[in-house]
Amino acid sequence: MSTQASSSILFTHFRPQEGFRLLELTPELEELLTSKDAPVLELKSPSTALAQAVVDPTANDYVNLCTPTQTYRIRQVQSSNSLHILRPSHGEISQADIKVVEEEAGESGALNLPDEAVTAVAKCSSTLELHIPPGGFSAIPFLEKSLRLYDRRSDDDGDIAMGGSADSTSPLGFKEMRTVRENVCQDIPVSTAQCEQGWMQLCAFVDGAEEVACWRPSARSRLTVWKRLVEGAVLQGIDLEKQFLVGDLWKSVLDDEEEMEPPFPRGLLEAVVRRICIADERPPLADDIKWASFDKIECTQWVGETYLAAAAPTVSSAIGRSEFLRAWKDCLPETWRREAALSKLPNGCYNSPDPTTICFVEPSQRQPTNKTASAPATAAKAKNTRNWHELLKGHR
Amino acid sequence: MPSIKLQPRCSGSAKRTTTASTPNNPLPALLQTPSGLALLELQGTINVPSGDEDDIDYSTSTDNPASTFETPIGKLMFPDYSVHNPDDTKWMKRAYMYVGRYQRMTGEVKKLPRPIAVLQRRQAAESEELEVVEIVRYKIFFKSRPEPVTTV
Repeated sequence: MSTQASSSILFTHFRPQEGFRLLELTPELEELLTSKDAPVLELKSPSTALAQAVVDPTANDYVNLCTPTQTYRIRQVQSSNSLHILRPSHGEISQADIKVVEEEAGESGALNLPDEAVTAVAKCSSTLELHIPPGGFSAIPFLEKSLRLYDRRSDDDGDIAMGGSADSTSPLGFKEMRTVRENVCQDIPVSTAQCEQGWMQLCAFVDGAEEVACWRPSARSRLTVWKRLVEGAVLQGIDLEKQFLVGDLWKSVLDDEEEMEPPFPRGLLEAVVRRICIADERPPLADDIKWASFDKIECTQWVGETYLAAAAPTVSSAIGRSEFLRAWKDCLPETWRREAALSKLPNGCYNSPDPTTICFVEPSQRQPTNKTASAPATAAKAKNTRNWHELLKGHR
Repeated sequence: MPSIKLQPRCSGSAKRTTTASTPNNPLPALLQTPSGLALLELQGTINVPSGDEDDIDYSTSTDNPASTFETPIGKLMFPDYSVHNPDDTKWMKRAYMYVGRYQRMTGEVKKLPRPIAVLQRRQAAESEELEVVEIVRYKIFFKSRPEPVTTV
């Protein structure tokens, strides 16, 4: 009898009710949140302008939960059951009310209820669940809409005033550039690491020559940088496959008379070097890139893809294959020429309108082929899920 | 502002524990959390009178000046639980919830398939911020309807 009494807990309803939300955690998130120096997470949704520019076919309004490195889509799941949140309480209810639960109330020897009580302080009829869509999250579509296109031809001779002025090398401190970049990423609903990855992929850079702005160079601009870089390296005897000082490379790019008027901002050169340098040696975006070295094979691949994107961006502008291969080789340092071959290009980056021609395929257009390849994998995965959205997806 | 911060820790937790009269947590140790919060899932819902006049009556009848009050619903029982044997988890299979004196629901304590973070709007933050108040790993789960009981 006494044991029964000890495990009997008065249960009450508390007013006013509190506002809580329940968030189902993934194992990674649980680990992150319970770690000693748990980071601050962010709930991000795109700015109105970006939401209109980058349409997500699966959702109109959405909120993403971002850890420093990972992004999750939040889905609100309604339940017919109600989830109450309990909290220990003193069970301060009136003696008259105790009659509701206990016949013996008030008499000596009755259950010692008021000391042992829990109270329901909130009710939740839905939980927030997290998921990552099959393709994952990328900042690139958002960055493409938020950054200005840098497309200055080297033979324009500076009649377009864009980052060409004398002091464009460093009118902006490194810290300020970082703030500018972070402001852009603020509106992009993916994690900081994924934003930085996209930023790096696009060779994006901050320039403050005329006005402070963030740019993404066109394929043509990137190719121009590459060509100048190779010329300069050859002239100054810089071996691109061994570690070199990025500062030396920048100097080699400048002609004597160009020291006052660089062909493009130093930030652009650094962005390109950062993009194509050996990944293990790539410093975080928060750090200046001082040293770099290139990998022959990866670099050749990037040059081929970039050349194709610059010369034959669409099916209608397709170019001859042999012409493309020759031009590609001409972009490379002498000793790398043998590396250029169609088979070395990244998967799905080109298309052949007819057997002799070739053209570039935008990364966003490549997804369908990737998706069909990975469809069986997601279908198998869906069988294990208890989410009917995912269960039904495979059957469409 | 398209971004809302989610703080991994609760700012108010320190405050709450320092209040002198923190009630004893009567739940089995497995269900106890640092903040004291626990989850109870119910088929259906708890209906309490929402009339404002009732509220005032109750709050004035107690000496508590704050307008908070508790409405008794029933009792929770974990009949097989013993404090002396906390590692044995067989007790989880059975839990009772009495609604009033004459109805009882039978349920169990379940480990959640995935832990659930209890989030709250952070008080005294200049912009809108959320915080993780607690991470809960178990729930008390009543999936059946109440049955009548004659004797307690």
